[in-house]
Amino acid sequence: MKSRLAIAFILIVSGFALSRPLFAHHSSAAYDMEHPVNMKGIVTNMEWSNPHVFIYLDVKDDNGNVEQWRVEGNSPNMLVRSGWKKEMIKTGDQLLVNGAPAKNGSKVMRLITLTLANGQKYDGQGFK
Amino acid sequence: MRNHSIISVVAVAAFTLPFVIFAQTAQHPAPAKTRAVSAAPDFSGVWFIDEYRRNILPNEDPPFQPWAEALFKKRIFENTHRDPDSGPDPTERCIPPGIPRTMFQPFPWEIVQARDRVIMIFEYQSLIRQIFTDGREHPKDFEPTYMGNSIGRFEGDTLVIDTIGFNDKTWLDPMGLPHSDAMHVIERIRRVDHDTLVDDYTIDDPKAYTKPWIAQRIFKLKPDWQIQEYVCTENNNVK
Repeated sequence: MKSRLAIAFILIVSGFALSRPLFAHHSSAAYDMEHPVNMKGIVTNMEWSNPHVFIYLDVKDDNGNVEQWRVEGNSPNMLVRSGWKKEMIKTGDQLLVNGAPAKNGSKVMRLITLTLANGQKYDGQGFK
Repeated sequence: MRNHSIISVVAVAAFTLPFVIFAQTAQHPAPAKTRAVSAAPDFSGVWFIDEYRRNILPNEDPPFQPWAEALFKKRIFENTHRDPDSGPDPTERCIPPGIPRTMFQPFPWEIVQARDRVIMIFEYQSLIRQIFTDGREHPKDFEPTYMGNSIGRFEGDTLVIDTIGFNDKTWLDPMGLPHSDAMHVIERIRRVDHDTLVDDYTIDDPKAYTKPWIAQRIFKLKPDWQIQEYVCTENNNVK
């Protein structure tokens, strides 16, 4: 009984730890890291640049209107460490992104997880 | 039977080889300076913060002087009421984070140990820190810098680093904890196991804090990582 309780406790604690988003780079203060959201969009441009990689997405809102979003990943050095390649994202690709939107409501997101059209997932912060 | 012979040969070689190497070393003793370096603990390798946090102290505020507390609160307000493309944190405009914060950034850094110094090569902003271990004192007259002036000594398994000579342009953590140009940082770095480095930082800054306080950070060895290029100013969106 004690061991079952212990296992339950460990599962709850580790679940909480895993669900907490990691913070990337110099400041995440402008982003709502506690409430990440999912978005699907079409790539219009990508800047493979320091200090951050920027992906520009056309995203349809609930009414079918197209919104232009800037999705900010970590720096190329950290993304390459976690398996990214510059060539894996091209204009016209469909992407699923999970990230933290800007607190001030602007259409800017800090990337947490990226999913390509083929289903491959990548860490957007380069910590793993 | 043949297998046994091979095992015997390997076993004998395993026992005797170290003695052969030792005997050769004894015949050709190394210079005194090289022996002194080999006696120091080996911290060389690429290290990465074990748990990135925005607060240098996890559970409490340090003992502020009134002006430092007021400035800290002002920075927190500005940082939480900001546009993504403009913010008060100096590092977002590619200003070096200073010491100790450069070590806490979520980017790896490497320790290289030389005869007279320990060198830290930081991936973040491609910064370098030199800690002189040849017994020299801090310079008497110098201009303040972001990384300060560091001297160090080995105490058993611990590297003790003494750093002064900071400017007051950096934050101690991403929350905005301030410090003054009187800050004195004393670090005690030791390797608690092969993959783990622990650094205790004593922050002694009587202009900003009423008494010294201690923060601790843990770093993990990344044997497969190399320090890479990082160019903060290339396409920085924060003005």
